[in-house]
Amino acid sequence: MSKELAVALQKLATYRAQNSRASQQTFEQGVTVLKHNALWKQGDDGWAFLEQLTLASLDVGKPDVADRCISLLTQKFPGSPRVECLTGIRLEATETPEVALKYYDDMLSIEESNAALWKRKISVLRRMGQINRAVEELSSYLDTFYTDVEGWLELANIYTSCNQYTLALQALQHTLLLAPQNSFYALQAAETAYTAGDIPLAIKMFLTVTDMSDDSDSPADSIPEGITVRSWYGVKLCTRNLLKDSRTTSVSPSQTPVPEHVKLLDELATERLLTAYSSGNGPVNGREVLVKWLEAK
Amino acid sequence: MDTKVSLYLDPQIRDWVLFPITLVMILVGILRHYIVILLQSPPKKMTRAAIREQRALLRSQILRESSGNSPVPPAFYQSISQHLSQSFESGSYLKDGPPKSDAPTAPPNPMSDPAAMDGMMAGMKTQAVMMVPQMVLMGWINFFFQGFVLIKLPFPLTLGFKSMLQRGIETPDMDVRWVSSLSWYFLNFFGLNGLYALILGNDNSADSSRDMAMSPYAGVGLQQPAQAQDYNKLFKAEKDNLELAEGLYSWTGKDIETRLLKKYGKLP
Repeated sequence: MSKELAVALQKLATYRAQNSRASQQTFEQGVTVLKHNALWKQGDDGWAFLEQLTLASLDVGKPDVADRCISLLTQKFPGSPRVECLTGIRLEATETPEVALKYYDDMLSIEESNAALWKRKISVLRRMGQINRAVEELSSYLDTFYTDVEGWLELANIYTSCNQYTLALQALQHTLLLAPQNSFYALQAAETAYTAGDIPLAIKMFLTVTDMSDDSDSPADSIPEGITVRSWYGVKLCTRNLLKDSRTTSVSPSQTPVPEHVKLLDELATERLLTAYSSGNGPVNGREVLVKWLEAK
Repeated sequence: MDTKVSLYLDPQIRDWVLFPITLVMILVGILRHYIVILLQSPPKKMTRAAIREQRALLRSQILRESSGNSPVPPAFYQSISQHLSQSFESGSYLKDGPPKSDAPTAPPNPMSDPAAMDGMMAGMKTQAVMMVPQMVLMGWINFFFQGFVLIKLPFPLTLGFKSMLQRGIETPDMDVRWVSSLSWYFLNFFGLNGLYALILGNDNSADSSRDMAMSPYAGVGLQQPAQAQDYNKLFKAEKDNLELAEGLYSWTGKDIETRLLKKYGKLP
């Protein structure tokens, strides 16, 4: 086995393990492997590699390579649901959405419980602009396969794109239930609540996210990073709204009580944000903008 | 004792009885493995309604699991919980739709459900493949080699092993180290598993000693869990659990502001 090939196989295995898309790289490495005809040396990994290469080559617009992979896979696994799904994706890449939709409908009429095909069908529906049908199908999909976090996120995304923030928030609650440890979902829910106009709920959820993502021993000295900074911005926005116009903003559709000590929370958020934009060696880029924003009423 | 060899074994016994028995048992095990693979039917395709019914309980379990410290705000928790309760009550998650009021409440008979029947048949089929060759082998050994002494173990053993090692030979005085043909069969029967794992991989179906303890129905439960379950009853029970969880419910965000202010030293 040449060195080039060994490197390529190594890289592909890492991409697969990390579930990374990196289509261009995958495609280049994959073509090297195909050129050396080393498919059979990988054992059972070879099939996973073919699936990976199919998706990558469709991403970079080389349907001929994808066709080659799919025909190899079909020979080995005739009637496999995974290969059927790949064939569908291949159709989506070059044919009109109607053709792809027809394919998925036909396939689902034979085997109605194939989750992968069902999800592809929903995505095609959404792409065709048939949001109504997409939402309908997706709801029925999620009613059957409740534990699919991706599905709930997609539903929330569709609702958000239609400005149905309350419905999106409801969908996001299910992702919170299914993945309570993921602070990114919590942040998304908090931001959706803010956009929906439910300020008391939003501030509570933003605070939850900061609590989740900052678990250092001496919280007062730690410098907020990444998602924590973003949620402190959220807290600041909420407290500002609550302080400015408490009568209208404290109305909560979800009957969440307004937190006590709003003033203190506001101070805390300001302090945390300023900490985030300062380091041991002087102010950080962007600090002036932040200060200006904090001072603006 | 060593000075006077009590028994002398013909080398022919080793070549024509000991080795053949061992070899035949190994080959039969390997053959069985492949027959079982051939007999395995592909997993049955389920309809959407059936999957939905099977997974409905999971929904409420997920909700209940974290209810003591739920990430979901009260209003949403209530609505999810009540929606599930109502669906369980009305039976809208049942595969065949809500039950009729005059329908019999007895649990479904597994024999009348073709799906359950299939699963049971698959279990029985593999079971037959397990049992038949073993019976034939045992008959073969009993018929041709009854009362043979095959091998002498290289280590001494206590009298307690006599019934295990000298099955088929009723002699009170023979040294326990001698092994009879039938006992050799049983030793192989229980002991070849390691060899099969080496040849066929870990999840092989060549080992038959494992199935001895299993009844033909035991495999059914493993392959198709909850096939004959009465979901209507389960849903009713789950409804009570949901109510209980609702009582225990508290939101993580309930006192989050005071907790955080304390964490950052803003409040005592």
